[in-house]
Amino acid sequence: MKIALAQIAPRLGDLKYNLKLHQNIAAKAKKENVDLLIFPELSLTGYTLKDLTQDAAINPQKDSAFKKLRTLSQGMSLVFGFVEEAEDGLIYNSSAFLSQGQTLHIHRKVFLPTYGMFEEGKFFAQGKNFRTFSTPFGKAGMMICYDFLHYSASYLLFAGGSGLNIITSAAPGRGVADDQSFATSSMWELMGKTISRFSSAFVFYCNRVGLEDGKVFAGGSFIYNPAGNLFALASYVDEDYLVADIDLEEIKTFRKKWPYKRDDKPEIILEALKRIVKNYED
Amino acid sequence: MKINAPFVEKILTKFIKEELSKFQYKKGILGISGGLDSAVTSFLAVKALGANNVIGFVLPYGKLSRSCEKDAQDVINTLKIRSRRIDISPMLDAYYKHNPSSDRRIKGNKMARERMSILYDHSEREHALILGTSNKTELLLGYGTIHGDMACAINPLGDLYKTQLRQLAEYIGVPEHIRKKVPTAGLWDGQTDEDELGLSYEEIDQILFLLVDKRMPREKVIDSGFAKEKVNKIIRFIKGSEFKRKLPLIPKISERTVGHDFLFPYDWDR
Repeated sequence: MKIALAQIAPRLGDLKYNLKLHQNIAAKAKKENVDLLIFPELSLTGYTLKDLTQDAAINPQKDSAFKKLRTLSQGMSLVFGFVEEAEDGLIYNSSAFLSQGQTLHIHRKVFLPTYGMFEEGKFFAQGKNFRTFSTPFGKAGMMICYDFLHYSASYLLFAGGSGLNIITSAAPGRGVADDQSFATSSMWELMGKTISRFSSAFVFYCNRVGLEDGKVFAGGSFIYNPAGNLFALASYVDEDYLVADIDLEEIKTFRKKWPYKRDDKPEIILEALKRIVKNYED
Repeated sequence: MKINAPFVEKILTKFIKEELSKFQYKKGILGISGGLDSAVTSFLAVKALGANNVIGFVLPYGKLSRSCEKDAQDVINTLKIRSRRIDISPMLDAYYKHNPSSDRRIKGNKMARERMSILYDHSEREHALILGTSNKTELLLGYGTIHGDMACAINPLGDLYKTQLRQLAEYIGVPEHIRKKVPTAGLWDGQTDEDELGLSYEEIDQILFLLVDKRMPREKVIDSGFAKEKVNKIIRFIKGSEFKRKLPLIPKISERTVGHDFLFPYDWDR
């Protein structure tokens, strides 16, 4: 299976420009016989939208850009990020998985960072679910940026049977004491390594680059294989396009050797969680 | 406090280049004092925009600090950038002739605002954006003149402490005699920042780093080996200068108000 991560710098609030950017990269990917092309979080709109959020929102059922992207997914699969306006008027930070002209899944970001430099909770409604879904490449699950820093989210994809964890991200870098990259890049890599290894699943992390309002998006998109090994790493900070041939059989191979999946006990976890939540103390 | 200088250089040049191009500017303009901050900013600007697109302004007050002027000229010559020298003493002296003051600080602030006024004038004439030169230490202490040297379009060094700037300066090749200079705001002859602040930059930066970057409580900073008076003094500086880091307050009376809930990105439509 051929996978590509498009580490782009979308233009803030410029849907027209960004759609063109998606179309150009998708055309290139198609020529290279890429099976799955992944764009970063909010790739269609840019990240720091603030009060522009509502203007940038699109309804997947009705919007023409969305329709164009669906058409684009003929002959391949495509993941991209957008501001979703739901039928009830709520606005979500969402990622869509399109394949062969169909929308296979839309994930609405659950964990909205609202602390320090982040204020997503001010502008977005919170998603309510982590679902796995069937793709031409097996079961997959999606997370958006801060979702991935909550390992409970990865557990739900694991319990739901995902072998392909797709993370779209718009993570600004912080900390410049380290070598070659922002200190926060190694945080994402640590999670990528850990989750891939202990979920015995592929982890595809597609981060963006470029600057918005002085924030520098850190890039460093990566692929970890089910053995927890770094399979491919995009450049830090700069635009990049990462293509890799992966062997989906590795999921099964690794699960035979390390039976974490076989020995998982979601029913025990569920009951334990219920007890914990019931006994919450103020 | 250690920084990865090549990485920081890369980020800051990227920032200068991208931010100017978003606003459809090719040129940057800045005041060059002969000190470290404006030297580092000049070097970064040349790297980001090319020597032809950086204009350095030397804005001395008469013969005050001749040696600084020489250092400023060194930066200009080393980088081969366009420059302009404007003596601000005629404007200042004309003003003070009618509004005399013997307060060195008041006069220093006025000088900083005169320089600001010249830079903004030329910013428009040259279609060049003003590159600020305030570092993180100064911004946190409020050691700068509001609407004076703190005024600019973008401020590339605003997240680097003075001591981190020295690391960057060495890497990007700022001449040694500028790097090793005793920092001065140049408000009067013989003035040094450290005398005026009553602390060395090493101490200030370490304390700021713990308080700000590491969010360490005051008591813990003191316990980690810094004198109580010094820590308290720095906290006093930080609190006392918050107004310099904000837009002026607006009383909220309508449904949507600038500075409260009219929330658009800086890079709006860029």
